[in-house]
Amino acid sequence: MVILSSIIFAPVHANDTRYLEAMHKNIQSVYKAKSLDELQTAVNSLERIASAEKVKWEPYYYMSFAYILMANQEQQSARKDAYLDQANAAIEKASAINANESEIVALIGFIHMIRVTVDPVSRGAQYSGLAMQAFGKATTLNPENPRALALTAQMQHGTAKFFGSPITDACTTVDAALQKFDTYKSDNPLAPQWGREMAIGLKKECN
Amino acid sequence: MFQATVHPHPSTVQLLLFLAPVFNAHLYRVIAKTYMRLVFTIGFIMIVASGFTQVRVLGVITDAAGAPIPGANVFLMDTYDGASSLSDGAFEFTTNENGKRMLVSKFIGYKDFQCQINLEGKDVNVKVVMEETINELDAVIITAGSFTASDASRRTVFRPLDIATTAGATADIAAALNTLPGTQKVGEQGRLFVRGGDGAETRTFIDGMMVLDAYSVSAPNTPSRGRFLPFMFKGTSFSTGGYSAEYGQALSSALVLDSKDEAESSRTDVGILSVGGDLAHTHAWKTGSAAAKIQYTNIKPYYGMINQEIDWKEPPVSTEAVAVFRQQVGKDGLLKLYGNFNRAHFSMFNHNIDDYTQKYLYDLINKYAYLNASYRTSLNEHWTVRGGASYTFLQNNTSIDKLRSDEIEKALHTKVVVDGSPSDKVELKTGVEVIQRDYQRTDSSSLALVLSNGFDESIVSGFAEADVYASNKFVTRAGIRLEYNSLLEKVSVDPRLSLAYKTSSFGQVSLAYGTFRQSPQNKWIVQNPLLYPEKAEHFILNYQSVVNNRTFRVETYYKRYDDLIKSIDGDPGYIDQQGKGYAQGIELFWRDNRSIKNVDYWVSYSFLHTKRDYLNFPYAVTPSFASAHNFSLVYKHFIKAIKSQLGFTYSYASGRPYNDPNTDKFNGSKTPSYSDLSINVAYLPKPFLIVYLSCTNITGRDNIFGYEFSRDPDNNGLYQSRPIRQPAPRFLFVGVFITISRDKSVNQLPSL
Repeated sequence: MVILSSIIFAPVHANDTRYLEAMHKNIQSVYKAKSLDELQTAVNSLERIASAEKVKWEPYYYMSFAYILMANQEQQSARKDAYLDQANAAIEKASAINANESEIVALIGFIHMIRVTVDPVSRGAQYSGLAMQAFGKATTLNPENPRALALTAQMQHGTAKFFGSPITDACTTVDAALQKFDTYKSDNPLAPQWGREMAIGLKKECN
Repeated sequence: MFQATVHPHPSTVQLLLFLAPVFNAHLYRVIAKTYMRLVFTIGFIMIVASGFTQVRVLGVITDAAGAPIPGANVFLMDTYDGASSLSDGAFEFTTNENGKRMLVSKFIGYKDFQCQINLEGKDVNVKVVMEETINELDAVIITAGSFTASDASRRTVFRPLDIATTAGATADIAAALNTLPGTQKVGEQGRLFVRGGDGAETRTFIDGMMVLDAYSVSAPNTPSRGRFLPFMFKGTSFSTGGYSAEYGQALSSALVLDSKDEAESSRTDVGILSVGGDLAHTHAWKTGSAAAKIQYTNIKPYYGMINQEIDWKEPPVSTEAVAVFRQQVGKDGLLKLYGNFNRAHFSMFNHNIDDYTQKYLYDLINKYAYLNASYRTSLNEHWTVRGGASYTFLQNNTSIDKLRSDEIEKALHTKVVVDGSPSDKVELKTGVEVIQRDYQRTDSSSLALVLSNGFDESIVSGFAEADVYASNKFVTRAGIRLEYNSLLEKVSVDPRLSLAYKTSSFGQVSLAYGTFRQSPQNKWIVQNPLLYPEKAEHFILNYQSVVNNRTFRVETYYKRYDDLIKSIDGDPGYIDQQGKGYAQGIELFWRDNRSIKNVDYWVSYSFLHTKRDYLNFPYAVTPSFASAHNFSLVYKHFIKAIKSQLGFTYSYASGRPYNDPNTDKFNGSKTPSYSDLSINVAYLPKPFLIVYLSCTNITGRDNIFGYEFSRDPDNNGLYQSRPIRQPAPRFLFVGVFITISRDKSVNQLPSL
């Protein structure tokens, strides 16, 4: 038995290093990508990793994140929605693997938030509610998650701007988010790192 | 092969395992260690060895037509090995895998491609041909005859919110749809008159279930409002012809409303209106929601302020209660219940045309109840079933002078539909429905003469329809509807056919044909229960192009009426169904919410040419509800600085025919043209508070809808006339809407 299990375990360790290396490379590609083509290439690499690593949520998470970035770059609203559909399909797979990961839940909210931007007047009511619900859940799952707070601040800011009301709530939240960006350290080497720039940009509007 | 030679022979392993318990622990550990070392060595050898058998996989990815697909993801299943295709569709990658492997190719808008390849040291060349998926984003849609407004679908020309924010409509569905092409303005009725059809030829359906009398009561020659408020619905499909075989009992138009699924959050809404008030509460839980609303409308204070054309005794007072219940059942089931109860009353004096001092009383009490229950659930991944029942109760107690008439109509509609898509290229819909109607009318005068009439009608229908996609570019919808009428004991068969073809990535052409039937109005069936349904045939050609939130639409049609009620020799006491008619026209629509920032506007124009020979018409003429030219401009502007949405609607309709008994020509005279400029302002000082102000006809134009004539000529042989005017030059409406919820950003904007 020991012998057999050793046969099974030995390659896993080797693969783990390979997984981490491949992920690091592709996560950097997503963060650095400037064009839709570069993002699509990164998404494709991540999708391949996901196909080999059935129990890892990170490849799907970054695929979803890359699709959100693609939706942000796209001007045509129907295409924007198509990318968001892809983002949604990917994050659902991540969620099926690890439903209680705060980062995943925050990203679900992010997708809803971008849906609002496609047509704020008619979608605002439905999707801003869904986005805030997701951010709230993400914060409950991990109160230290700076992205959940930064996204909440972004949503509060957008809503305040839409209704022309003061952005004080958004500013309070973004301060909390910036503090968490400094203190929060995940023990997952593949944990998301993005969001600080967004929070800093938002913070500037508060001054 | 190399691998096979270094792999330990299976019998060695078996032998070791078999012998293991016999050895003592120490010996066991020694053997185990030795074997493990062996395994690691072998593993190492395997990695090195396979490094030498690296294989190149290359090829080209194209679609079925041979066009390259760039950016597709091609890889060996369950491995990291793969690549993205380049701009010419070419790809190339290397792998250390060997043997028979599955090659996968994936890309948005295409079905996953899979094929087995054999990796044995040589380059593998693969030709990948990907098949497109029929998807919501790219597939052609049948647009002939229909305007769809939905939150869910992304390609709608009209949104549910548009209905609520159209100036002049004051959140009335019919009034907002009246700014779309295909409709004619009939200002004194407020109903939807479509393409030369009478207002009764438009049928409303809620969640697939028929609604009898979708409009609240109004005094003669004053516009009525729809009973159903736009905020209830997530989707509205307004069809001006060629609609699905699912919808029957409508000659000209089907207004299909889909009510919202469960509410997202608990909230209380308060509305303080210049003509009354409403109070609503919604309670939401994880798997459902319940809501109730009461509304009281009393136009009395308003009529006191603004001089009215009408001599009211008691201006309209209406009390309405609405209840909604939603519950998820299991994973995919959804149960919806809806109830609407209304009581309205008014009384007014009608004055004699010849002598204004002579007047008589007109008094109406209307009681209305509408109940709708529907349930849908999915049977499996491809099939869903939905069913429901609706019940309408309608009572009108009318007194005109000393004549009294009491009408009671009850209708029960039950329906079961199965929807499915056995493949992504085929969508099927089939169902059965039963409509049972009971109508009773009693007329009595002061002489104690009582006349009772009525009928019981059952219509059993079955329908089947298939949408077949040849590709994302071409779709055919073929349907058939069978109806059996119990009064006639006859079956009618109505075919429906639509085609749509995408001419470019933005433009598409649609064609639609169908025959449609509707039972004659109650007053005729009472007179002759053997009347068969009136019939219309539609032929529609449509072109639509949507480029980046700019929509252009042009539609032309021909409609033929048959079997219309016609009185024999002009005597309304004797009727048959020799009536005929036609309508034809061309319609244009342009909408743009991109060119000007924060501005959304649309323009509609309809040309209509119609004649019919029916009822008491001596020959075919244009009926008095039809105007040849209709034009609307709807403009909405959101100004952030003042937190307000400003809007206006300009409408124009050319003159309508009316019959002047002083001339020889029947329906040969024409009213002046109609025009109206309405404005509205929605002000949002706080996210949970909306102040709404609207005013119709701000210029105060005196629109004349037609003329009434005295029954008998005067001493000079002339029939005296009186114009039918708007009840008031303007309708001013002010409302304050407050929403109380835990999330303070929720407001009633979506419901306004």
